[in-house]
Amino acid sequence: MNATTVETLETMRKKAKDAAEPRQLSDEERLERAKEAFLANLDSEMATHLESCIHCGMCAEACHYQTGTQDPRYTPIHKVEPLKRFYRREVDPLRAIRRLFTPKLTFQDLEAWKPLVYDGCSQCGRCSILCPMGIHIQQLIYVTRAGLAAAGLAPDELQGPADEQLRDNTLFGAGSEQLKEKVEELRGKGYDVPLDKDQADVLVLSTSHDFIGDSGTLEATVKVLNHTGVDWTIRSDAFESSNFGFLSGDEAAKKKISERIVNAAIDVGAKRVIISECGHAYPTLRWEAANLHQKALPFDVQSISEFLAAELEEGRLKVEKDDGGNRTWAYHDSCKMGRLGGAIEEPRAVLRAMGIEIKEMESHGRTNLCCGGGGGVILMESAQGLRRKAFTLKREDVDNTGATDVAVSCGGCRTTLETGKAETNWNINIHSLVEMVADRLAS
Amino acid sequence: MTLLEFARGPGFQIALALLIVGILWRILGAVAIRFGKDFSKPRGGKQSIRGGLKAVLTYSAPPHELEKNIKFQHYTGYAWHIGLFVVIFLFGPHVFFFENILGFGWPHLPNAVVMVTGIITMAILVTLLVRRMIHPVLKVLNNADDYIAWTVTFLPLLTGTLAFYHLGARYETLLALHILSVELLMIYIPFSKLMHMFMVWPSRFRTGTDFSRRGVEA
Repeated sequence: MNATTVETLETMRKKAKDAAEPRQLSDEERLERAKEAFLANLDSEMATHLESCIHCGMCAEACHYQTGTQDPRYTPIHKVEPLKRFYRREVDPLRAIRRLFTPKLTFQDLEAWKPLVYDGCSQCGRCSILCPMGIHIQQLIYVTRAGLAAAGLAPDELQGPADEQLRDNTLFGAGSEQLKEKVEELRGKGYDVPLDKDQADVLVLSTSHDFIGDSGTLEATVKVLNHTGVDWTIRSDAFESSNFGFLSGDEAAKKKISERIVNAAIDVGAKRVIISECGHAYPTLRWEAANLHQKALPFDVQSISEFLAAELEEGRLKVEKDDGGNRTWAYHDSCKMGRLGGAIEEPRAVLRAMGIEIKEMESHGRTNLCCGGGGGVILMESAQGLRRKAFTLKREDVDNTGATDVAVSCGGCRTTLETGKAETNWNINIHSLVEMVADRLAS
Repeated sequence: MTLLEFARGPGFQIALALLIVGILWRILGAVAIRFGKDFSKPRGGKQSIRGGLKAVLTYSAPPHELEKNIKFQHYTGYAWHIGLFVVIFLFGPHVFFFENILGFGWPHLPNAVVMVTGIITMAILVTLLVRRMIHPVLKVLNNADDYIAWTVTFLPLLTGTLAFYHLGARYETLLALHILSVELLMIYIPFSKLMHMFMVWPSRFRTGTDFSRRGVEA
């Protein structure tokens, strides 16, 4: 497999766990920290959502972990219960009355909800589209994650990398040195790689996946960028697009990791920041970074699929069309890039430009089904049973199109699909969008 | 003062005052606590407010692939809400009641049509109550509010039907109980999930603007 292999996933899990720093706090301190995190995130939008639930349970049908297991505990709004309980007792305008009927939130509650909030939620946001009350359940679950992370309850597989990113500016052991080695390897193949330029129009982000596995994504990205002729650079001190602060719910880490990229982009005078095929990095930088920075960013943030579509439109990117052989193509939307990011049409435009017509899955675009491994689930050892059950739904959706080939523009989704493929002997070819483009550049 | 006089007089005034104050308190307390400012650049510079307003409507009809497994609940939900609307606003005596307060009225449906609608509405509510008690997902979510809200919504329908057909007691007593049950509902609304009749709109709007800002239709 081209993306991260099953063996390297095991290695990543071990590295992640080893990187986690001990959090020696009493249960009371943990509970207080969780409450502080809940309160810090409770604005009028959150309150409006928390006030609107009618316990209809419809959100259960949107969740691949609930439908995949038929376990009602995975009903999305149920995952929010610790936050709801805190709101009712501490913030609700009727809290004086609510306290009489709402049990106190305890540290044990937080512990009990950990498998629901982390293992059983990929932060895909499908429930937020279905809820008839319009409750943004994904956001509420994220805030619940933030509370648990503040209490030191984030799984080591997610907290460890967040700690490592903050402490060492590396991820799974890969940092500036490994990037430089990779750049030298690419230069050896004849590529011009403008590493650490002082000024550039475009700042490109990669991810440590490219150094751990045998991924060709960075090479493909370099090839495509050079083809377009844009003035670009990659920074050895700020190339990592992944933000494990977001995945773990560690808000302080999320902000610092995000600021590292924002400051690097400002330093080089970038007009655009382009995110490699990393799903969760996109909404984090495109939609949250400015808010973490507390002012509008002086550059645009694009996913690689948006960049490719824009460059095709501008005529700087030229690709050769092929008929896709005798194959049937589907496109898997990453939840973070698509539903939570908005880059839904762009990857399809890129595929069309290459002459590839896709058969849409029943759930695609804004209602796509998660691959099962998003939100860090693919990394969590305890979540693999759930991940497999959710994957079967995705596989069914793909198989119903008759697809022989699936394109995807997210490294995490690709790893999850490849893992599911290996585990279930799935007869399908999985392709990275940017690698497909790199293979079809017009000479 | 008879029970009916109490129900029509001070009882109604107290219930109305609690309803209005309670609703305002709860809406202001939740919606006006702290507004976050979004510094991100909206996709294509699109007006996210328009997307929010659109979402207020579109959340009423979820996409097929999401709705296909919840059709029963979805359609029965619509059916009993419409039934309740018909009974409250299109029943002759109710229209006269509103006319007395507001100074204007509107056409109403024949009594028989409204009665059949009310009975169907009650039947759906009973079905949904049973479903609530046995459905695995709902069993995880249920709390006392779910059952109290059901009861205070059901009682006015029941007492109204009994009063119309003069069943079980003197008409005046049944009418008083009917009005009191409505007042109970009015008082309970601000303390319960029945507030969704007001909160659903800002909730849909907020999520709609959030998705719209990102270029996604909610």
